[in-house]
Order: sequence, then structure tokens, then C-alpha cells
Amino acid sequence: MEGTSLRRDWRVLAAVLVMVAIILFPIYWMVVTAHLPTRIVLSRTPPLLPPLSEMTFDAFGRALLRRPFLTWLANTMLVAIAATLLSLVIATLAGYSLSRYRSKAQELSGLALLVSKMLPGSLIVIPFFIMASRAGMIDSRLSLILANTSVGVPFATWMMKGFFDAIPRELDAAAAIDGCSRMQALWHVVLPVARPGLTAAAIYLFIVAWADFVFARTLINSPELWTLTTGLASFVGEHGVDWPGLMAAGSLSLIPVFILFVLLEPYLVSGMAAGAVK
Amino acid sequence: MRILRDDRVFALLLLAPAILCVLGLVGWPIAQIIGFSFVEGAKLNALGGGARPLGFGNFISVLTDPETWDSVVTTAIYVAGATLPAFALGLGAALLLNRSFPLRRALRCLALLPWAAPGVLVSIIFLWLFDPSYGVVNYLLRSFGYHGEDIAWYSNENTALAAAILPTIWKGFPFFALTILGALQTIPADLYEAADIDGANRTQAFFNVTWPGVRGPALLALVLNGLWALREFDIIFATTGGGPSRASETLGIRAYLEAFSYYDLGRAAAIGVLTLAIALALLAVARRPLQKEFF
Repeated sequence: MEGTSLRRDWRVLAAVLVMVAIILFPIYWMVVTAHLPTRIVLSRTPPLLPPLSEMTFDAFGRALLRRPFLTWLANTMLVAIAATLLSLVIATLAGYSLSRYRSKAQELSGLALLVSKMLPGSLIVIPFFIMASRAGMIDSRLSLILANTSVGVPFATWMMKGFFDAIPRELDAAAAIDGCSRMQALWHVVLPVARPGLTAAAIYLFIVAWADFVFARTLINSPELWTLTTGLASFVGEHGVDWPGLMAAGSLSLIPVFILFVLLEPYLVSGMAAGAVK
Repeated sequence: MRILRDDRVFALLLLAPAILCVLGLVGWPIAQIIGFSFVEGAKLNALGGGARPLGFGNFISVLTDPETWDSVVTTAIYVAGATLPAFALGLGAALLLNRSFPLRRALRCLALLPWAAPGVLVSIIFLWLFDPSYGVVNYLLRSFGYHGEDIAWYSNENTALAAAILPTIWKGFPFFALTILGALQTIPADLYEAADIDGANRTQAFFNVTWPGVRGPALLALVLNGLWALREFDIIFATTGGGPSRASETLGIRAYLEAFSYYDLGRAAAIGVLTLAIALALLAVARRPLQKEFF
């Protein structure tokens, strides 16, 4: 008995290691490349375990100083935070409505929200580009914020509906008896309970806006308004890519999302489970 | 009665911003796409100028173009190739993460990381991994005894599509892992005990207890991921741009190129409508599991 369980543990451990290798190798390689001098990086026999004595932060310096990395970061932050806040408000109200009030209209709009999530971004971007250019909003962060909001709201609404479904209606009813208006009940009683859901939805929305490329590439022309993704992509077309510099910029661009994850991972797993699955 | 009416108004008021958002920022664009697809000879730079004849010209031009059907096939390969392996990998990861072992929480965070990385960044990492001269993949191939020429994964017609699918799988499997893990945690442990008492082995336990418990969410995740792969743009565009020789040109890439490289809005819109029709057909096939899971 003891023996089999030990052997089983050993197998789980091996499987975990294989999985870690698959998941992490690309990221590991990005980080390693970022810390090596170009001379070693451009070798046909790259060292799988980097020599510690050769490690350098030069590429990070290049990414930060020679490229407007910090401008890209600031642009992305601004757009992502604004889009997250805007769509979180919209999605929370809509999710609450879908969860608490059932009628044909609710069901139809719920379905419309779901279907709208399935349209290709490269398709939406065409009319979006036309609308933005007619409104004189090409090269404007506002158009980018609105675009990311439209992308995030449908799924976030369903996540929030899932969370509100899990909160007993008696809670709102009790608040109403205590003299709260419906909005007050939502604000003071339901929302505090739904905080894990809000967090999960916020992470999802932030990631959506953070990762956007097609809208940023199409709606923004001026390099000083570029976001991280358009900035990173601009490295690639160049003759003789500065791989360590690019990998350094890539590593840096992943840090904010990673921090968000480590802090909020428990909410995310339960949030996706409640919102996406139920 | 009055309270009921008030409730309905309140409910609609709460929904209104989302409906506005979806109608204005998604519905209206789609209507426009459908409109443009019927405008003969619509060019991007001729927008809004004067009335143009309506007709099926764009559709005829797109549907009789063999390149369109190449793109349909490429899209089908891309969707299937990106979705099914990601599903298998995600299921495995979920089963693994559902067991207890040291550092499980840390591993969960890490397993989510590919999903959170922007598609463009994922593309860049893979461009570097698969670089013909200095890429670690070719280096590993060489050290395992491959002595042919360097493989230029992303600029070789035969490998470009597969090389664009790989990062999509890598980025996509955490979504499966996450949804399936969520479902696994709702399966009561005594079901496994009962299966054990009935003498079920591990395979039987999987098919009789685990799979029924995760089937709904897993199918839903498959459908969603398939639809997401159908609309994927970032990864293909940033790795191969649809090339070489259109080897990785899916419908989404094609629509974008028609609009922003060839400035042929009418054709782009017609391709868009075709993509939409395919997405809706997929949805119709998957309607039952979707309905069961959502309503």
C-alpha cells in the first residue's frame, strides 16, 4: 500500500515537472535571452543554462532608454485601466439585471451579449475604424478605450451574472425591507458580497485591454500613442532584431499582469468557474 | 402590478448601458459590415462619398475566388489544430492541478501565465524560439541528431501554419485547464469512493465519474475556444502575417488585408460576412450544449 502510493506520488511529480517545462520553457527562454549579451544570444549553440558570469542587465537598459518603453507602458496602463473601470461598471449593472430579473427581454439581450463575443476582432475593427475616422477619433486614446470596453463587456457581464446568481436574493429583499432603495441595496449589500466576482471580472477585463493589438494597431498611428503590443510588434519588422532588448521589453511587459495574478489568483479560479462555466 | 412594472423598468435601466455598448460598438459595426458587403466597388478611401449601386458583386467576386476557399481550409485547419490539442493539454493540466502536491498554488499561477500574456508577446517569444539560425528549437533538433538545413519555421510554406498554431495552443490551454479545474472541484469525493468500492479502475473512474462531471463545461470551453480560434488575429498576424505565399492566411487575416492593405472594403466586408456565417453555423451546431450550460 505504502509502496503504490509512493510510486503514484512519484508519477504525479514527474507529470508536474513535464507540465512546468511545457508551460515555462518559452517564458524561461525569454527571460534568459533578456539577460545575456547579444554575442552569446546570437550563437548556434545557445546555452540552455546561462553562464551566471555573463548575465547582464544591458538589454533592460536598452529597452528602457533607447525605446520609448515607458511611454508605451503608460499608454497601455491608461487605456487598460480606463477600459476596465468603464466596462466593470457596465458589466456589473447588466449582470445584476440578468441575474435578478427574468423576462424575454433579459434573455434576448443575454444571448446577444454572448453572441457578440464571438465576432472576429479583425472584422469589428473595419467599421470601428470607419466610425472613428468619421468622428475624427483616429489616433485618440478614447477610441481605443471604447473599443476595449466593447470587447470586454459581454463576457464580463456573464461572469458577473454567475456571481450574482450565487448570492441569495433574500439578501436584496432584506435590504429593501430595511428601507434601502434598489440601488442602495445593490451598492451597500450585494456588491460587498460580490467582491470576489468583481475582482475576477476586473482581472479579465484588464487582461483583455492589456493584450489588445488589432485595435491599437489600426486606430493609433502616432508612435507616441502606441501601446505595449504595437511597440513590441514594431521591433520585429526591423533588420537585425535586437533579441535581448526585445525579450527584455517583453519580460517587463509581463510583470504587471504577473503581479496581478499572484495577488488575485484565488479569485480568478473561482471567478472563471462561476462565471464562465455556470 | 405597479411594482412589477417598476421592476422591469429598473432591470432594463441596469441593462441599458451594456445593451448600448453592444449595439453601438458591436451591433452597429456588424450592420455596417453587412451593408458594405453589398456596396459595389466600395473602397476604403471612398467612404461616405455619394450613393453607390448595391448588388452582389462583392460576394460573387469573393465566393468565386479560389483564394477564398484556400483561406476557408486554412481557417478550418487552424481552428481544429489550435483547439483540440489545447483541449487535451488543458484536461491533463486540470486533472493534475486537482490533485494535491507541494507548490500547487504557485503552479496554478504559472499555468495561467500563457493565457494572460498578450498574443503579440506570445508570437514574439515563439518567433525567437523558432528562429532559423539562433532559435533554441533548431538547436535542440541539431543536438538530437538532425543534420539537415536550418528550418525557417515561420517563413517556410510547409511549416508556417503549424508554427502559427503552436503559440495558439500554448496560449489557449490554460483556459481549458481553468474551466475544467473549476468543474472538477464540484465533483463530490464520495462518487470516487463509490466507484472504488464497485471495483472501477482509474480509466473506468475517469469515464464514469470524472468525464460526466466536467462534460458540460468542457464542451462549452471547446465551443468558445473554437470560436476564439476562428477570430484569432494577433498571433497569426504577428508571426507570419498570413504568409508565406498565403500559407497561413485565415479568413480573419484575409479580411484585414483586403481592407487595410488592398483598401477593398467591399471584398473585406463580404469575407467578414462569410466568416460570420461560419461562426453562426458552428454556434448552431453547438446550440444544445450552450443552451444547457447558459440557461
